[in-house]
Amino acid sequence: MSQATHIRNFSIIAHIDHGKSTLADRVLELTHTVADRDMVEQVLDSMDIERERGITIKAQAVRVLYTAEDGETYQFNLIDTPGHVDFTYEVSRSLQACEGAILVVDAAQGVEAQTVANAIMAMNAELEIIPLINKIDLPAADPERVRHEIEEGLAIPADEAVLASGKTGQGVRDALEAVIRRVPPPEGDPDAPLKALIFDSYFDTYRGVVALVRIIDGSISKGEKIRMMATNTVTDVEEVGVRRPANLPVDELAFGEVGYLITGLKDPALVKVGDTITLAKNGAAEPLPGYREVKPMVFTGLFPIDGDQYPDLRDALDKLTLNDPALIYEPESSHALGFGFRVGFLGLLHMEVIKERLEREFDLDLLATAPSVEYHVFTTKGERLIVHSPQDMPEPSAIERIEEPYLKATVLVPPDHVGAVMELSESRRATFKDMQYLSATTVEMHYEIPLSELIMDFFDQLKSRTRGYASLDYEYIGYQPGKLVKLDILLAGKPVDALSFIVHRDKAYQRGRVLTEKLREIIPRQMFEVPIQAAIGGKILARETVRAKRKDVLAKCYGGDITRKRKLLEKQKKGKKRMKNVGNVEVPQDAFMAILKVDE
Amino acid sequence: MSEPADTRDLMPGPGPVSLYVHVPFCVLKCAYCDFHSAPLPAEPGIADHFAWAVAEGAAHWAALGALDDVVSIYVGGGTPTTLGESLVTLLDGIRDCARVRAGAEVTVESNPDTTDPATAARLVASGVTRFSLGVQSFDDEVLRTLGRCHDAARAARAATELASTGAHLSLDLMCGVPGQTLASWRDTLERAIATGAGHVSVYPLAVEHGTVLADRLASGAIGEPDPDLAAEMMALAEALLGEAGLARYEVASYARAGERAVHNSGYWTGRPYLGIGPSAASMVSAETFAAAVRCEAWGDPGVAGIGRTVTELPDGAARVRFTRSADTVAFLRKPVGPPEDVEFLTAPEAAAEDAMLGLRLAEGITDRLAEEAGACEALAGLAAQGLVEHAGGRWRVTPAGWLLGNEVFAAVWNAGARRGLA
Ligand SMILES: Nc1nc2c(ncn2[C@@H]2O[C@H](COP(=O)(O)OP(=O)(O)OP(=O)(O)O)[C@@H](O)[C@H]2O)c(=O)[nH]1
Ligand code: SF4
Ligand SMILES: [Mg+2]
Repeated sequence: MSQATHIRNFSIIAHIDHGKSTLADRVLELTHTVADRDMVEQVLDSMDIERERGITIKAQAVRVLYTAEDGETYQFNLIDTPGHVDFTYEVSRSLQACEGAILVVDAAQGVEAQTVANAIMAMNAELEIIPLINKIDLPAADPERVRHEIEEGLAIPADEAVLASGKTGQGVRDALEAVIRRVPPPEGDPDAPLKALIFDSYFDTYRGVVALVRIIDGSISKGEKIRMMATNTVTDVEEVGVRRPANLPVDELAFGEVGYLITGLKDPALVKVGDTITLAKNGAAEPLPGYREVKPMVFTGLFPIDGDQYPDLRDALDKLTLNDPALIYEPESSHALGFGFRVGFLGLLHMEVIKERLEREFDLDLLATAPSVEYHVFTTKGERLIVHSPQDMPEPSAIERIEEPYLKATVLVPPDHVGAVMELSESRRATFKDMQYLSATTVEMHYEIPLSELIMDFFDQLKSRTRGYASLDYEYIGYQPGKLVKLDILLAGKPVDALSFIVHRDKAYQRGRVLTEKLREIIPRQMFEVPIQAAIGGKILARETVRAKRKDVLAKCYGGDITRKRKLLEKQKKGKKRMKNVGNVEVPQDAFMAILKVDE
Repeated sequence: MSEPADTRDLMPGPGPVSLYVHVPFCVLKCAYCDFHSAPLPAEPGIADHFAWAVAEGAAHWAALGALDDVVSIYVGGGTPTTLGESLVTLLDGIRDCARVRAGAEVTVESNPDTTDPATAARLVASGVTRFSLGVQSFDDEVLRTLGRCHDAARAARAATELASTGAHLSLDLMCGVPGQTLASWRDTLERAIATGAGHVSVYPLAVEHGTVLADRLASGAIGEPDPDLAAEMMALAEALLGEAGLARYEVASYARAGERAVHNSGYWTGRPYLGIGPSAASMVSAETFAAAVRCEAWGDPGVAGIGRTVTELPDGAARVRFTRSADTVAFLRKPVGPPEDVEFLTAPEAAAEDAMLGLRLAEGITDRLAEEAGACEALAGLAAQGLVEHAGGRWRVTPAGWLLGNEVFAAVWNAGARRGLA
């Protein structure tokens, strides 16, 4: 074993919005990695959706060269990670490529739920953690309180926590010096057979699959023959390089280094994130442990509004799964919506982001049905069925019992909002487990809650009922039985499979009533009366009616009006195209998501 | 004076034509108004100046032979009667250059506040055959909501004054106004009938973006109009007016026998029209347009730099619709000049448009036109929905179709337009 003494590999981790990407900006500036004229805020958030929403979705690795106070120049490979709970797997993947992590904590918000979750992940990965109290420029900053929360709540010594502001740049140099001092240099065997971990990848239209790698042992250079150990694929190395943050080719990546690798392979399936790369000849015997597979938690139907786009949708999903192993899909067909896919996601934000990327990057018009979870249905015949879609639910008489996924939810909240959290959780079938004071200002509450309840607007409600103070983290714990039923929605007397959903029996009546009301508002008036009904196994629970449209006429139509009015009619027609015709009823996209907004 | 509904002529060349004059002046802006209108500028002589500009515009078309058979003249706005005596000059100027058919319909729009018996009499003496009066309502409350600058009594008096000139009279009425009740509407209809007017137009209020009314609705100062109530009001209008001998012959138009609007009917039957004045629209055959394009005056957008120069017609263009800029000053400086917006339609598109517009009429359209428009299938579909019916070789709207006209118009236009050149 030797040490790459002048290399430091670390991730920047935090709760959402605590300032990771902004801090990374300052590091890129301080090290002159990005030219001044190319500098924008959160420069590493390069996707359109990231920039518009102001959040990080994809982890980004970048190499910077830092000249330290000891006069030596160090190579830093830093990875900026997302903070949102849906993208936790990006954090865990990134940590595998590092020896240390900067744990950023907002000096005003303090420790929040993903601060705890990410800190625990970094501890489990045995990384050196450097706490950094950020945004100290804010008037509401209270670094002493936050220092306390870090020590008491996370058991991380914080007397040496770096005080910084990504906005003013204060403390950034201190943070980098702390990295050199405290994060161990990578260790590895330069002479052992190559072992490189693929921790991320993406698809480039011209170059094919680009793999991001961390070299553990040995080295790799252009022209060598390599083997992907899990897929047993042998190929040539076309190019190796480093991200600064644009790709910069280099001759060789040696042990301890982070960089990218292009092989010319075009098939995303052959280059798997988590796989180990070794040399084709005299390769390593054992692969690295790799990653635990991430399992999607919510499932939704994605249908092209124009049925002709079905093959394009499949290709697009293929490409996106490449650097998003959490995305899975299988064909689905619906009476109401035609052919599409049932797609699994890590959460609602993940779903929104993927849908938006499919529409933008691949020019598709999609309709999404309300998310569902994976139910385990035990039939009277003794079978166990996996049900991702309400439409696959067997008849009630054939069901012996249904089990649904549960989460352990952790809510961090100031003590005076505990009551509000209790109240909300109770209404969402959550079981209270325990709570403890992380510090005088923060209470940590634990619940077990069905995932299906959490994906309803639980998070929005939590935020609004605690005036934004609560934060939430959750992890999957297993399946538990529940008294669940399928609620059907009928439009104009016909059940619409894409609108049905699964609900707890005690809530069926209430949800059915609220949903039919919502749908009455959403579905525009048509030429005929449209009854909307909610039913369980043929028994009607609630009914609303969209009255028939009585008047729709451009009464004035003389010389100058004709062109304008005709254009108006054409526009109306375009508007209709954004709707789905379900058994003659024009149904807008919102209708399929209405169930998520059923506020009680 | 009614016009058979299928006098549609796609390539009229020299043939019957209508003339529209837009007078962009009003005393005050009504709350719902999105027409092109503004107060008459205070400059002395402006009204005469406007009248001369219109005459110059007419002379331009006359020189091209486009005004050889004028069957109707319509002076609209705005409020033409703001021009006062100058309207006589304006009409004389047109007559000096155009060949106006004997017995042609000559309509002038008026509003109650600018109606003056002496001017009205003089207009009739100089050839005006018909007045169209903007009454809107005989309910003061409703008039206030609409921001009209007259009350019900003034409107009634204006109707009497105009009727006594011996000219034909048409009244405009509005329903579906926030705060308007069925009882108020019934009263307005009855009082309209009592004036003896031979023609009534009924418009449900449309709230247009950017109007005072739209702002007041948005701020909650007045309640939302109820489309169902407006539908009921339209049905009531048809019943009451019908009983009184004013039969519905178009979506919004009712007339006693022989009192149909010749000019308006032209819009729904494909008759070419020439519009003079700011924002006025014209529709002519491709040939007439090509002749205009060759004129020197059209080659030069003029001092104000308004309008666009068209040098070539696209292949397949059969019909052209174009609009003058809405800039009144530019019109006064240069009454003849290139249009601002131009739209070319192919023969199938023109047929689709005529079919769409023809279905506004009680007579509907002939099988031949439906076929030319490529709309037979769409019409059959509409028939299945009960919106149109087919009898005696014609397609026409049903009572339900009157109210849901947009379904009919959109289906017919979209079916036909697909076959256009696009
Ligand atoms: N006042 C102040 N604002 C900051 C500071 N750092 C970041 N911000 C602001 O905080 C918001 C979030 O910053 P980001 O850098 O995008 O946060 P992030 O942690 O990368 O967020 P995610 O990647 O979405 O988890 C932005 O509006 C920044 O401008 C700081 O030091 N001081
Ligand atoms: S009278 Fe007619 S044109 Fe004039 S402001 Fe009123 S609505 Fe508009
Ligand atoms: Mg970020």
